[in-house]
Amino acid sequence: MEKYVRSHISSERNANKLRKDQILKTIFQFAAIVSGSAIVLIVLFVFMKGIQPFLPGYEAGQVNFAEFLFGTTWRQDQGIYGVGYIIINTFLSAFGALLLAFPVSVLTALFIAKIAPKWLAGIMTTIVELLASIPSVVYGVFAAGAITTMIMNLANSFGVVTAGGSSLLAVVLLLAIMIFPTITSLSITAIRSVDPTLEEGSLALGATRTQTNFKVVLISAKSGIFAGAILGIGRAFGEATAVAMVAGNKLFGPTFDLFDITRTLTSTMLAGLKETTGLDYDIRFSVGLVLMAVILISNLILNAIKKKVGNHK
Amino acid sequence: MKVSGNRKKRKVYDGVLQGITYLFSGISVVVLLALFIFIFSKGSGLINSDLLKNDYWSQNYLAETVNSTSGTYEKPSDLSEEAYFSSKWGIAFVDHVDAHKEKQILVEYIDEASPLAAMKDVSIKTDIKDFSLEVGMQIEKLQFTDVNDSVKLAGGIMKQNAQQLAETLDQSANTIQSMYVKTAGGGIRGSILSTLYLLVVSLCIALPIGIASAIYLNEYAKKTRFNALLRSGIETLTGVPSIVFGLMGVTVLFPVTQLFGATTTSILLGSFTMSIILLPTIIRSTEEALLVVPQHLRDASLSVGANQSQTIFKIVLPCAVPGMLTGILLSIGRIIGESAALIYTMGTFISDQPTLTTQGTSLAVHIWSVMSGEQPNFELASAISIIILLFVLILNFAVKLLSKRLSKAWY
Repeated sequence: MEKYVRSHISSERNANKLRKDQILKTIFQFAAIVSGSAIVLIVLFVFMKGIQPFLPGYEAGQVNFAEFLFGTTWRQDQGIYGVGYIIINTFLSAFGALLLAFPVSVLTALFIAKIAPKWLAGIMTTIVELLASIPSVVYGVFAAGAITTMIMNLANSFGVVTAGGSSLLAVVLLLAIMIFPTITSLSITAIRSVDPTLEEGSLALGATRTQTNFKVVLISAKSGIFAGAILGIGRAFGEATAVAMVAGNKLFGPTFDLFDITRTLTSTMLAGLKETTGLDYDIRFSVGLVLMAVILISNLILNAIKKKVGNHK
Repeated sequence: MKVSGNRKKRKVYDGVLQGITYLFSGISVVVLLALFIFIFSKGSGLINSDLLKNDYWSQNYLAETVNSTSGTYEKPSDLSEEAYFSSKWGIAFVDHVDAHKEKQILVEYIDEASPLAAMKDVSIKTDIKDFSLEVGMQIEKLQFTDVNDSVKLAGGIMKQNAQQLAETLDQSANTIQSMYVKTAGGGIRGSILSTLYLLVVSLCIALPIGIASAIYLNEYAKKTRFNALLRSGIETLTGVPSIVFGLMGVTVLFPVTQLFGATTTSILLGSFTMSIILLPTIIRSTEEALLVVPQHLRDASLSVGANQSQTIFKIVLPCAVPGMLTGILLSIGRIIGESAALIYTMGTFISDQPTLTTQGTSLAVHIWSVMSGEQPNFELASAISIIILLFVLILNFAVKLLSKRLSKAWY
């Protein structure tokens, strides 16, 4: 072996070099472990803080867990915390938004990927990207100023009085706008990756372009489109600032009337945040815990549905 | 006959579907336009250098004149037409309506030799300081004596406007005794500073950790279960709503900021929280860049005797620079736009002198602060939104340019 290593390379320096290599690797590995374990820390600590109000011996008075989870009143001033109707409201607003945004997103994606000429597709893609990059607080300002005014006028024409336009409908519209770019961009990817031979086959059998688009392309891409919808609804559940600006924070519920004010999990967590101690603050962690559970459960259900309706390959 | 009928039906059907597709695609354009028009029409009136320079909270001063006698001053030729000049006191006023729709009288011009230019600040009786009336300050109350030596009041408190105030001073004021002055508020200087702090600190933390993690995952990690777990852990982070990051910040990271002397929620805590939010973004964009570095470059480097760390730092990383830059730009966009997590970790108190260990608001949280009060201030919120949108647009554009470069090797 010796004769292959040139004499001026000292084995000591070589060993040094390798040791440095090992140290560096350890540092990189440590960083990766820190990044990877952040999620565990988040879940663990929010869980620990979130269940505190329900444990016996909680200093501000123990809260009954069943009453919290199924309650239909949220009165901070009276110390009544019931999150049940808020969960229903959150589901209503998120799925309402999905209902509105889904057809618009899918058709926009179809337009961009299949129908529009190249230059128009470029412009439309830029518009979708812009909508995706606008921060939620800016959407909030827009919603609180423009969408609520629109709804107020709409409600007036029906003879309904709204609380300055803050309403379930405002939340639904706002969320629909906010999840639109997410669903669209994932749908575009899904539609673009449809096997072109399928389309050609359909066209060759005499189907029109539009028939092919709707009956072959969209159906083949449904798995990816569904993934977009799942991501979109996740965003709708977690959206906080903008929703809090137009929700109106109803004290009881659930709200089924589109023109009535509502209250979602996230708007509850942000409403009247002043103190940083006490039950009123700690209970927000419990609400956060419920929010995480809601997202997780709906994700699991939607993924199960996706497997059912998706394409088996 | 039957076939042509079917074809006609098909055509109508197709036309309807096509029409719906066009219509729905137009919705996004309408929404984007509506948003821009709304934000710009509401906010553009406030966009000027004062907004960027001024403090948010106005300071109040009670100032007494040192030399209370009048003189004769010349009206400057470049004085604007809306300003009313008092030649006896060498000062000009304008009317102004602030963001809360309140009428104010502001100082538009003041002569250097005017007795009002050099006064004493007697707001705190035991600590009297020199005070000079400056352009842009608001005259709330002005106490003067007339020819009969009786004390009179003038200014905004007497429901006067700028013209009346200037006339009163010229016609009846013999000596000016004291005045109650407010500096202009409503600015976002403090929030801009806080946002800068936030940007610098969170990037300083997130970049090294993120890039190191990406290097480990891409260059070192073998396909073990543990590494797959790390990967999915990082991916899950992207799906966590930002408000939950806020909750995490105040429980997990608050004790860490206490080591640095923070007693409440602080900009430092916001930065720490933000750096965790940024991790997946940075890791992903760095990894994407590392993936396109050709394997033969690494092989060549290793075969000429470089060890792995040399290969990474001297060969792989320089090739991945555009990808890391993309990550940084995306992160900046995320930091500027983030609100929910920061409301929990930085607090909503708008601070004019932000420091790392005290509360402060980033621009986005500033918007939340002025919007969540009893009287939402749409003008200011829209003006800040314009600034944020401008940044976001520039960043978006830069990312597009970069990714174009990224798609072909630049080395």
